[in-house]
Amino acid sequence: MKFKSLIFFLIAFVGIANTSSVAKQITKSGVIEIFSETPMFTIEATNKKVASILNPTTGDIVVSTLVRSFKFKEALVEEHFNENYMESAKFPKAIFKGKIINNKDIDYAKDGSTNIILEGKLTIHGTTKLIKEKGSITIKGGKISAKSEFDVSLAAYGIKVEKAYKKAIKDAIHLKIHFNFSPYAKK
Amino acid sequence: MNKYLKIFLILVAIGVVVGGGAVYYIFNMPARDVENETPAYTLNAEVLYTDFSNNEDAANLKYGDKVIQVSGVVVDKITEDYQVSITLNDEMEGINCAVDSASYVENKEFFDGLNTGNKITLKGKCDGFDMIMGVVLTRCFLINK
Repeated sequence: MKFKSLIFFLIAFVGIANTSSVAKQITKSGVIEIFSETPMFTIEATNKKVASILNPTTGDIVVSTLVRSFKFKEALVEEHFNENYMESAKFPKAIFKGKIINNKDIDYAKDGSTNIILEGKLTIHGTTKLIKEKGSITIKGGKISAKSEFDVSLAAYGIKVEKAYKKAIKDAIHLKIHFNFSPYAKK
Repeated sequence: MNKYLKIFLILVAIGVVVGGGAVYYIFNMPARDVENETPAYTLNAEVLYTDFSNNEDAANLKYGDKVIQVSGVVVDKITEDYQVSITLNDEMEGINCAVDSASYVENKEFFDGLNTGNKITLKGKCDGFDMIMGVVLTRCFLINK
């Protein structure tokens, strides 16, 4: 029961006064791709189990995923990613809580694409940082989708890279995020 | 050519081939074969959820990164491209399973015809507990229709 109340709290966080006609939006199958390339080494992985709740009325957005859901082409890289870098047994989650600061620029009732600025707290590897990144919201046939692309610094989140690998692994990991939302139906 | 030198060269050649092969294998080791891995636990969706809601840290230690086999009632199914997500038991307090595309292709008819209320058994890798998705299993394979 504890978790049900957590969910309600979360929904409440995403919108206190939901007076607008646009329903809160949810996805449980968002996608995050990570990419980093050096002449020696390429890191490439996809996570298709990313959840997000968006309140179009306020622009509040929550994103959460599990680090272990990232799938790599090479099993060895996946193992290193989980055990040595992200320490996913100790820090299983990655969470973003924030808002679209120019939410008023988006007309959720009309088809079109709007550039957005996201601001909020990103927690990775047990470390929370304030971030401000660009993205876009697209409305097509009443369906809302969101996109964002930005770099995350490993050092900023206390993710250590051994000296021997410093040249092989870049500090900046490129993130590509994509969500297709559906209206949140209360049951 | 000296007989010993010949043997030595053959041994070196074998060493290079075996060593090179091992390095090549390690760097190209295929992704974890969840389909053929024996599940560490076989249980009901309710039991798995209750374990996580009672003590998330303990459940993470017990099930995290393990292949587990779960049975439950389908409450939600989302198909996007070749990506099927099935939620078992409860939309908010349930088990969220991402079906491996290989298993989907193999059982496309079954997954496409799957309805809420149907019972299903899946085997997948337990990634942990998410506040929105519940218990997350990825690379799931169909066990029982």
